[in-house]
Amino acid sequence: MQQPGAVRWPQGKRGCMALAFDLDGPTGDAMLNGSLWSTPEYFTFGAYGPYRALGRLLDLLRAFQLPATFFVPAWVVEQWPQQCQAIIEQGHEVAYHGYRHESFWAISPEEQRAVMAKSAAIFKQYLGITACGFRTPSGDWHAETPQILRDAGVIYSSSMRGDDRPYSIPVAGHTPLVEIPGKWEMDDYASLAYTRQPDFPKGGDRIASYAHTRDNWQREFDGAMDEGLCLTTLFHPKISGQPGRLLLLEQLFEHMTARDDVWFARCDAVAHWYLQEQQHD
Amino acid sequence: MTESSRWPLGFQSAAIITIDFNDIHGILTQAPAVAGRDKTLSVWRYGTLRGVDRLLSLLAEKQLKASWCLPAIVAEEQPELVQRIIVDGHEIACSGDRHEDFSTLTLEQQIASITRGCDKLAQLTGQPIQGFRTPAGQWKPGLAQALIEQGIRWSSSWRGDDLPYFHPGTRLVELPMHYTLEDEPYFAFNLSPAIPPGQSRIAPYGETLDNLTQDFRGFHRFGLCYLLRLHPEIIGTAGRIGLLRSLLDTLQQHNVWIATAQQVAAHWQSQPDNGADHPAEVFTRIIGENNA
Repeated sequence: MQQPGAVRWPQGKRGCMALAFDLDGPTGDAMLNGSLWSTPEYFTFGAYGPYRALGRLLDLLRAFQLPATFFVPAWVVEQWPQQCQAIIEQGHEVAYHGYRHESFWAISPEEQRAVMAKSAAIFKQYLGITACGFRTPSGDWHAETPQILRDAGVIYSSSMRGDDRPYSIPVAGHTPLVEIPGKWEMDDYASLAYTRQPDFPKGGDRIASYAHTRDNWQREFDGAMDEGLCLTTLFHPKISGQPGRLLLLEQLFEHMTARDDVWFARCDAVAHWYLQEQQHD
Repeated sequence: MTESSRWPLGFQSAAIITIDFNDIHGILTQAPAVAGRDKTLSVWRYGTLRGVDRLLSLLAEKQLKASWCLPAIVAEEQPELVQRIIVDGHEIACSGDRHEDFSTLTLEQQIASITRGCDKLAQLTGQPIQGFRTPAGQWKPGLAQALIEQGIRWSSSWRGDDLPYFHPGTRLVELPMHYTLEDEPYFAFNLSPAIPPGQSRIAPYGETLDNLTQDFRGFHRFGLCYLLRLHPEIIGTAGRIGLLRSLLDTLQQHNVWIATAQQVAAHWQSQPDNGADHPAEVFTRIIGENNA
């Protein structure tokens, strides 16, 4: 299925796996509309991610020697700086995900620029880093967003859904923005998330079988690696970092690392490599 | 990857069985549109008619004690069932007076519901009430102090952790919940009105048992507190009670302290206060800043 001229991965590897986690904590719609402050039950559900689930997840990644990217709303960094510093110390990447998980579809270009500037300042202050990646919170963005991201020093995004490999989004006056598309099939919310008030997913859908969820993920992984593609994940520590689901991830990582033809990389490494390859063509 | 044990007698982890016995008042609070609809209400009345019996006999068979959370109105309407729960040695905790939706109440109204609820339950059961679960989830600032003044020692209303913690500024123990350890997200169903609202399929029983078992294995590996939240009308059917039996079999094959909420809360008094970055502390600090 691999097309002529398609990307070929470093180290002679057949496929590319870029594990990524959205460390949203309690940010999101309920924080943005203020309802969160009258629902301690829902706040604590979200805060569990950075406070309790993240540490165990980092241990698991270390046990498997797997690199990962964490898309982190800067508000989460302000509240749990030590936990977020541990992400960096363990060799993983921290990238942009809004300040309070603002939908870039719902805010103006000026507000988007302000969110990026505020996030950059917080990442510098608390983590000592300059991030180069971005995943848009709550899905969509505006036509102006790629320009805003490149102006803010972002070289790649992992916001879209519609392809199996990184691709270029042209931006006037800059090198292109690299897009590393994700998939709902690799989003733990689609299978495992459940909250009642507010109801996510809408309709109060069932929690899927862990074994079947793992089977789905493994099939997506095997298919993508067999075809020489690039797969990333939208996993959330508060959802799949709970104790029983951490065992699910452990089984998934065992499956993934049983192959020797996979380039496991952080999203920033994927983006840098893609830009370099483009120059050769 | 194990964390050091926090549990008595060398147990590796702890487990608590909580049962929300709300009869029709639980669903009336959650979905007021069901009022007056006898067929729908009978789905939830089933717990009182059959589910409590099945749970009591399974717990007796397994020689386990559970913590039953109920609003006073259920005890008033079902005194004989509540007596049977007590005679079997289980714990009774308070879910308000009439299972009110606390999100619509002021702090004073919340306190009044708890005071009435605890007083009535204490009178009906002859026991002081030490535990509390919010009827429909919400909690106003200041409630923790009011619970302590009412004699409450533990709450199981918030989330945010796999271990018990303290409500900020107090030694009121919170025994946190996880949606993953509840029966409702897998099994609750009604056709009209639609519950859940998206009317998704009832989850497969075998796969649900596998999930709950894997959750337990995770909690046990890390030495945590596995807290089940069950409902007589949901788990107490002839087909599902066996699922719970299998799960409890698994627990009893491990070195886990299966205790009541009150026992775990009493033990937790030996533990240090929360760290400043605990979700409960962060929430309370931000609420304070917003009100300042």
